[in-house]
Amino acid sequence: MTALAVARPTLGAWRSELWVPVGAVVVALLGGLALVAAAGVSLPAAVAAFADGAWGSAYAVGASLNRAVALGFVGLGFIVAHRANLTNVGGEGQIAMGGIVSTALCLYGGAASLPGPLAWIVPLVAAAIAGGVWGSIAGVLKVRIGTNEVISTLLLSFIGVWALYGCVQSTRLLRQPMTDSATLPESLEVPAATQVPQIAPSLDMPLHAGAIVLVLLAALVAVVLARSLFGLRLRAVGLNPAAARRAGMPIGATVVVAMFIAGAFAGLAGGFMLQGEQLALKARFPSGYGIDGLVVGLLARGTVKGVLASALLFGFLRSGGIAMELSAGVPSAIVLVIQGLVILLLAGSAWWLHRRKRA
Amino acid sequence: MDHSAVALWGLFIGSSLRLAMPMLFAALGELVSERAGVLNLSLEGMMLMGAFAGAMGSLWTGQPLLGLALAIVAVLPIAALQAWLSVRLHANQIVSGIGINILVLGATTFAYRELVGLRSRVQIPGLATWTPPGLEGVPVVGAALQQSWLLYLAFAIAVAIAVLLRRTAVGLAIHAAGAEPAALDKSGGSVTRVRIGAVLFAGVMSALGGAFLSLGDIHTFTEGMTNGAGYLALVGVIFGNWKTGRTVLACVFFGAATALQFQLPALGIEVPTALLIMLPYVMALLAVAGLVGRQSPPAALTEPYLQPGR
Repeated sequence: MTALAVARPTLGAWRSELWVPVGAVVVALLGGLALVAAAGVSLPAAVAAFADGAWGSAYAVGASLNRAVALGFVGLGFIVAHRANLTNVGGEGQIAMGGIVSTALCLYGGAASLPGPLAWIVPLVAAAIAGGVWGSIAGVLKVRIGTNEVISTLLLSFIGVWALYGCVQSTRLLRQPMTDSATLPESLEVPAATQVPQIAPSLDMPLHAGAIVLVLLAALVAVVLARSLFGLRLRAVGLNPAAARRAGMPIGATVVVAMFIAGAFAGLAGGFMLQGEQLALKARFPSGYGIDGLVVGLLARGTVKGVLASALLFGFLRSGGIAMELSAGVPSAIVLVIQGLVILLLAGSAWWLHRRKRA
Repeated sequence: MDHSAVALWGLFIGSSLRLAMPMLFAALGELVSERAGVLNLSLEGMMLMGAFAGAMGSLWTGQPLLGLALAIVAVLPIAALQAWLSVRLHANQIVSGIGINILVLGATTFAYRELVGLRSRVQIPGLATWTPPGLEGVPVVGAALQQSWLLYLAFAIAVAIAVLLRRTAVGLAIHAAGAEPAALDKSGGSVTRVRIGAVLFAGVMSALGGAFLSLGDIHTFTEGMTNGAGYLALVGVIFGNWKTGRTVLACVFFGAATALQFQLPALGIEVPTALLIMLPYVMALLAVAGLVGRQSPPAALTEPYLQPGR
């Protein structure tokens, strides 16, 4: 128990570690600006285009926030599993499973005829369960055979993404009926009743109710991680499984549940992405949200506050990057470079921090 | 077999081998690296950099061989970065691998647009093809082996690696670094040096794999053209149960599965493409789930080695 008490980061330690992620982001952003300059685009023009796309209009703010909400869900799930020293790299596939199940229920599962808000809540819950099941497979494999969850979630991710691709390619599955040869390989739009309500429909701001759900769930995760028995078990399993087992904790169940939660959050992100923003399931539905969510989770350093902050950062960064490409002609690939730099800087600093803490 | 069937088989085997090559090169490098205890998710990024640098070198000089050389030169710093992060800084190998992949995808996309142009598909001089003498006229085989000479190098390297791992002191040190790093340390070997060397080797092999893609097959560079081949190479090592022969077979099988995506529609057979693309991943999942024989990954895979007393 003393080990657990020591491992709980104090506020002071957290504050002194804060400058590492902030520093990483600043260095990476400077690198991005250098590339903008190298591309021969004037920096003010590029920055203006970025700002315009990220927060220049109510529409831009809404789009950035929606993106941040999806990333926030994936990131929350990531830190729950990571507390037990489990790394979920399968967000992409879990989002895909959530999207498939949500689409199927909304279009063909009769969700639209459910009374009131149940019409959109039930498919969301189903999406979360689908993602959770997909994640928990990795947990079961880990407990039963000791399969490294990184390898299994990676494989499951590819399977999920291609399953989605298959679903929207076949009219017998989720593809919209073929009217002519130009019919796109995507599903029909989900019925209005199953769409997640918008928070501010009058403002021309496409921000859906997922933002509220995210804030509520974030608070719940923070409490569970810090105060509940389950939070303690996660930490114990992560720090010292052997000791946790001797203390009589159910290691296997904790691992499976942790992976279920990680997957469920990603699946829920998929449900909100579909029912709140995209409305039709397209072939490239998860489109990097899983990987971005993983980065958000890593950047958060295990705290809920960190998840929300980095989800906002990447939500706006992505939206701004896309706008920068469209209006200033700067390749949005620069955003990838920035993201890659952030990850590498953080990965490299982890050990250094660890050593400093011990010293 | 009638005439068209012979031609078809030759085409199918030929394209299976060709499509397997990028994966095979990378997988052989990764095999050595994983046996030494380091997992390189960065395979994908290193291959992409190899494809990019190979294409640029060949485009600038008109010499595909110089392109090949540039591919290796350009990938080595990335491999060194991966090695430094995962061996010296004890960074999470998964995280650093993903970081490298994202960085390289962004950097090559950016650089290609700046250097060549937006979504350009300019043709670049490719590697020469070679068929073993005497086999040109043999049905099926002759057609299947009209291949870039790099293909034969891949199989030669595979044999060399099998011998190296099983019969040499270096092979023993690699095995020890991945299975019993403490034992290697105690017997005076350097876990750090073996692992760094293994990652650099994986880098060189990924560079060759990527360059095969741009110089030996497609003859141009497109953004993100490896498109998951690096991850498939990783899967090949897993499915190959960390053994040379089985890894080669796994990669050739994945190549055949990819070739089928193009061949089946041509034959008028309707199989959902998604199923064929998914197949290698499903098989690998079944393998790691213990449904295809016993899996025996190196004991210390992905575990940073901490020298006692440091």
